[in-house]
Amino acid sequence: MDKSSSQRLPPLKRNWWLKHRFFKLYMLREATVLPLVFFTLCLLAGMVALLQGAESWQGWIAFMGSPIVLVLNLLALAASLFHAATFFVLFPRVMPLRIAGHSLPDQAIVAGQWAGVVAVALLFFWLFGRA
Amino acid sequence: MNTQQISTKQISVKRYLPDSSAESYWQQYELPVDDSTSLLDALNHIKEQLDSTLSYRWSCRMAICGSCGVMVNGIPKLGCKTFLRDYEGEIRIEPLSHFPVQRDLVVDMEIFLEHLAAVKPYLIDDNPVKPYDPQAPETYQQSPEQLARYKQFANCINCGLCYSACPQFGLNPEFLGPAALTLAHRYNLDSRDHGKKQRMAELNRHEGVWSCTFVGFCSKVCPKHVDPAAAVNQGKVEAAKHTLIALFKG
Repeated sequence: MDKSSSQRLPPLKRNWWLKHRFFKLYMLREATVLPLVFFTLCLLAGMVALLQGAESWQGWIAFMGSPIVLVLNLLALAASLFHAATFFVLFPRVMPLRIAGHSLPDQAIVAGQWAGVVAVALLFFWLFGRA
Repeated sequence: MNTQQISTKQISVKRYLPDSSAESYWQQYELPVDDSTSLLDALNHIKEQLDSTLSYRWSCRMAICGSCGVMVNGIPKLGCKTFLRDYEGEIRIEPLSHFPVQRDLVVDMEIFLEHLAAVKPYLIDDNPVKPYDPQAPETYQQSPEQLARYKQFANCINCGLCYSACPQFGLNPEFLGPAALTLAHRYNLDSRDHGKKQRMAELNRHEGVWSCTFVGFCSKVCPKHVDPAAAVNQGKVEAAKHTLIALFKG
C-alpha cells in the first residue's frame, strides 16, 4: 500500500455515532451504565450508613426517598430493563445452546431469560413486599 | 428483460480523481430507471452512456463476487443487490467507508486482505497429506450436523461491507475486523480442522476479538446473512476459555 492512498483515509470523527439510528441505539445501550453507576453508589452509601448506626441509616432512608433520587433510580431501573432487553436478544447469538444435538430456538432462550427476570421479581415481592 | 422506462432518477456520486485534483467532489447524474434497475446497472449506464471516466469495481452482478460494495446514503451495500426503486429522493453513492480511496468508488482493501490472511482461513491438518491412492481413498468426512455448526459463517463473500459498518475498525484499522474473525471462527468450528491453536494467538489479543463492542451493524449490512457479530462474540467465549485453560496448564 503506498503512502498517498493511506493518507486518503478520513479519520473517524467523534460524532460518528450520530450518523445513523442504529449507532444512536448502540450508544444509548452503552449509556445505560451511567444511571446504574448512580444506583450502585446509592447502595454503597446505604451499606456505609448501616455500619455507622441508626441515625445515619435514617438519613440514608430519607435521602433515598427524596424526589430527585427517586427519579434517578427509576431511570436506572428503566435503563437496566432496556439493557437487559438488548442483552437477552444478543445472548442466543453469542452462546447458542444445543440440547441433545438440536439447537434451541432463539425465541426460547430470550423467553427463558425474561422468565428468570419475572421469577426474581416475584421472589423479591414475596420477600420484601409485605414489610 | 423488461427494460420499459418508468422514470428518471438522479444519483450523486462522490468522485475522486487524484490525477486532476486532490479533493473529492460530488457529481450528479440523471438516468432512466425501471423497477429492475439495480445500482450496479445505474453505474454501468453512467459509465457506458454518460461519463466514461467513472471508476468502480464489479464482476458477477449476482451478489457472490463481493466486488461492488459502495456506501448508499451512508450505508454499505452491494451495488448489484440494491435497487433504485427502493429509494425516494436523493441517492448518494460513496466509496466504502474506513478504507483508503484510490479513485472514485474504488478503495484499497489491502488491510482487510492482510487481516484475512493473518487468521489462516483454511483447513489446517497436523498430518501430512498423503498421495492420493485410488484403491483406498481417504476423504475428509463430515456429517450434516458437523456442517451445520459453521455453515452460516462459511457464506462470507469477502465484500468488506462489514468493515465499512464497523466503527471499531474505523477507529482502529489494526482491529482484525468482522469478516476475518468470522472466518477464523468458521474454521475453528470445522470438525476437519486442527488449526485452532494457531489462530487463537491472533484472535485472543486486543486487536483480535476483544476490540469488538458488539455494535452489531456488521450483521445488519451483511448481504449474505452471515451474522459476523455473532461469530466474533462466540470467538470471545472461545478466547476466554483458551485463556483459562492456558492459566491452569501453566
